[in-house]
Amino acid sequence: MDASHADPSRVISELQARDALKTQFLANISHDLRTPLTAIITHAEIMRDGILGDLSPRQQDSVASIIAGGRQLLQMVGEILTYARGAADQLPLARSTFAIGDVIASVLTMSESLCTRKTLSVDVRVEDDLPLLHADRDKIAHVLGNLLGNAVDFTTPGGRVWVAATLVDAGPSAKCLVEVGDTGIGIAPEHHELVFREFAQVDASSSRPHHGTGLGLTIARKLVELHGGEIWVDSQLGQGTRFYFTLPFVRAY
Amino acid sequence: MTVPPLVLVVEDNALVRGALHLLLSESGFRVSLAGTVAEALDVCSREVPRLMLLDLTLPDGDGLGAVAALRERGAMPPVTVALTGHDDPDVTARCTSAGCVAVLVKPVPARELVRRVREWVAEPAG
Repeated sequence: MDASHADPSRVISELQARDALKTQFLANISHDLRTPLTAIITHAEIMRDGILGDLSPRQQDSVASIIAGGRQLLQMVGEILTYARGAADQLPLARSTFAIGDVIASVLTMSESLCTRKTLSVDVRVEDDLPLLHADRDKIAHVLGNLLGNAVDFTTPGGRVWVAATLVDAGPSAKCLVEVGDTGIGIAPEHHELVFREFAQVDASSSRPHHGTGLGLTIARKLVELHGGEIWVDSQLGQGTRFYFTLPFVRAY
Repeated sequence: MTVPPLVLVVEDNALVRGALHLLLSESGFRVSLAGTVAEALDVCSREVPRLMLLDLTLPDGDGLGAVAALRERGAMPPVTVALTGHDDPDVTARCTSAGCVAVLVKPVPARELVRRVREWVAEPAG
């Protein structure tokens, strides 16, 4: 494609077509990567469960590491798939009616042991009498999981992490405002927009202490926006981070 | 001594098929394997399994196509469970309306799969 002479609108549509192709490739490849991972994890679990005979404690540890590594990889592949499907607008919402407090509690349970290990204190404040949400519960849990995961990752031992849910605005524009905060390393204001961009990590060096797909916040933003909400960050370097997102109270039909 | 219930695993990837075969046969079930819709129909024409674990993307068609064909032939297993690669509300809805009793996302933790297979094969036929 010779961009200097081509009709700009054709160049744009060509680039969009290629971008869509790349997104589709990402979706296909991440889906296909799950299949061999399924075989690896299932075989390792068969060994762990003693189905093929008892393992020595050292063998148990080794097999447990295969399973943990496999699950970690599976989770990352899942994030890439969710990102690709979100970018291609292939993420339908399965709405149900639930209390935000219940989702917060179940997401916190999953990170409980990590918080204990890092000696982080965790506070939850959910306003009384918050109306029920009519939203995709798994996707809201995904958003909370990503934000909470970051909060735990970027907060040094002894720090504090919190999740709060309150009601903002009234009448038809009433929204649920969720805050996930921490006393961690913080994000400089010039990086506030960057963190939501795909594949972005503020510290992109190979020696960076925090690894991941770099898609967690991009996905969180996509999932919040699919619900008609907004997501933003309030932070200064060295002064902790507070992520906020809103969810409108959609009426259940 | 009673014959253990037959579980049919329909899965096109040989590694995953092998893993499920090992897990279920070592847990006391009789296991049949199929890698395509055609093989699944063939197995069911010889003996209708108590339970079918069904992958949805098969080389010769949609796994749910096998459900429709089996129902037509009167060789439908009493319990069919879909195994999918990812959690997708549209896929779940399609499986449920095709008659699957559950939709599980792979990899299903080994212990959980064995526990649930035990429950499914114990359900009264109908």
